Amino acid sequence: MTETAAPLADAPYLDVADPAFSIRSQAVKDARAQSWYARTPYGIAVLRYDEVQKLLRHPKLRQGSHLWPQHNGVTTGKFATWWCNMLLCQEGETHGRLRRMANPAFSPKLIADLQPKFQALANRLIDQFAAKGECDFIADFTEPYATGVICDLLGLPFEKWRELADIAADMGLALGVTFKQDLPKIEAAIARLFAYAEELVADRRAHPSADFVGMLVKANTENKDQLSDQELLDMIVLAIFGGIDTTRNQIGLAMDMFVQNPDQWALLAERPDLAKAAVEEVMRTRPTVTWVTRAATETFTFNGLEIAEGTTLHLYGQTAATDPAVMPDAERFDITAERKPHFGFGGGAHHCLGHFIARGDMTEALKLLASRLKNPRFAAPVEWLPDSGNTGAIRMPLAFDPA
Amino acid sequence: MKVHVDMSICLLHGQCVIAAPEVFSFDDDGGLVWVKEIGEDLRADTEAAADACPEQAIVLEG
Repeated sequence: MTETAAPLADAPYLDVADPAFSIRSQAVKDARAQSWYARTPYGIAVLRYDEVQKLLRHPKLRQGSHLWPQHNGVTTGKFATWWCNMLLCQEGETHGRLRRMANPAFSPKLIADLQPKFQALANRLIDQFAAKGECDFIADFTEPYATGVICDLLGLPFEKWRELADIAADMGLALGVTFKQDLPKIEAAIARLFAYAEELVADRRAHPSADFVGMLVKANTENKDQLSDQELLDMIVLAIFGGIDTTRNQIGLAMDMFVQNPDQWALLAERPDLAKAAVEEVMRTRPTVTWVTRAATETFTFNGLEIAEGTTLHLYGQTAATDPAVMPDAERFDITAERKPHFGFGGGAHHCLGHFIARGDMTEALKLLASRLKNPRFAAPVEWLPDSGNTGAIRMPLAFDPA
Repeated sequence: MKVHVDMSICLLHGQCVIAAPEVFSFDDDGGLVWVKEIGEDLRADTEAAADACPEQAIVLEG
């Protein structure tokens, strides 16, 4: 069916800036049924599957995060400098070069070696609370697990996890609305993270290795034109920062879906081979990254809508991947269903670099959790981040029957 | 070495175009085109492209 898009002013309006806004609300579903895009205080929201998929990799759009510090009045300092130079905020040739240098360190070939480490880490954490039949799923599992995986990747002892998690949490303040007020804390955190990165690099220079940091150091040693000393450190900082909050939040969101769908949890316990598919179904229906941002580098027309240079677009991956117009029973959570691909890792040139690792560690975690925690339910109300942007649980009091 | 791309799972992210620009490219309509048979000089880049493909849609033979 071809459809002529209505002029921008006639499109539905979503008040995304309202703290009560939810990307899973009826208002968003109604807007999606009415139009492929909506107006928001931040720009255009793209709501449907085909449009999100095409715009994720549209040549006239660039990743939209590069102006974030500037929008918040932050133009100097370690954080702003790192942010504007790191992989995610680069485009074209520089982006391609950095991505080529980083890819081997994030190869799917590394997963097989990491699997036993993921399993040992998950079991070690579950051991600490399993007998009690209750835990705070975020503080006791998802946060130490996500950070422990990073420790394994970096070759740091597990005991470092708390310090790394605190640094990442402070740095994460840069993504919130209080960025400018929190700047001293953010600057202190990133300085500590760079110090860590420098130590790791010095160690691998002295003792070359084929692990994650070792591979990046090797790329830098072989050709500094391709990966400079600064770019090497920037990449390690990105890997640490990018890997912690996302995985912590995503595993918490997985538990939310399974608490709402106990039959699926029981099924996963019976059939651990479904864990891989379960990760995909969770990320389709309840991704931590609910939207990704793009900005128009020039004025162009898409599906009858003129998108002016500089326009910000938010591609609502979650809304698109649960669109009943493109898949049957789109809202049903079913880990055995054949689904179209979701957008939980973004897409196009900026497709999540760490997705093989994330998929691997979440698969092992869900497998072990389902086998050891029976009938999980919330023991008290869950405390949530806003249900938009990058979302997740802050506290998740969980009760269960130990297996 | 023969290069195949399973277009039933390819999502056109373009990671192969970044990893091996001499082998993979986008045409004017945004479709993926690639060199079907490559020499030794492009083997390393092509293997890196297959490795980096988020959908693991690239199959190399030989």
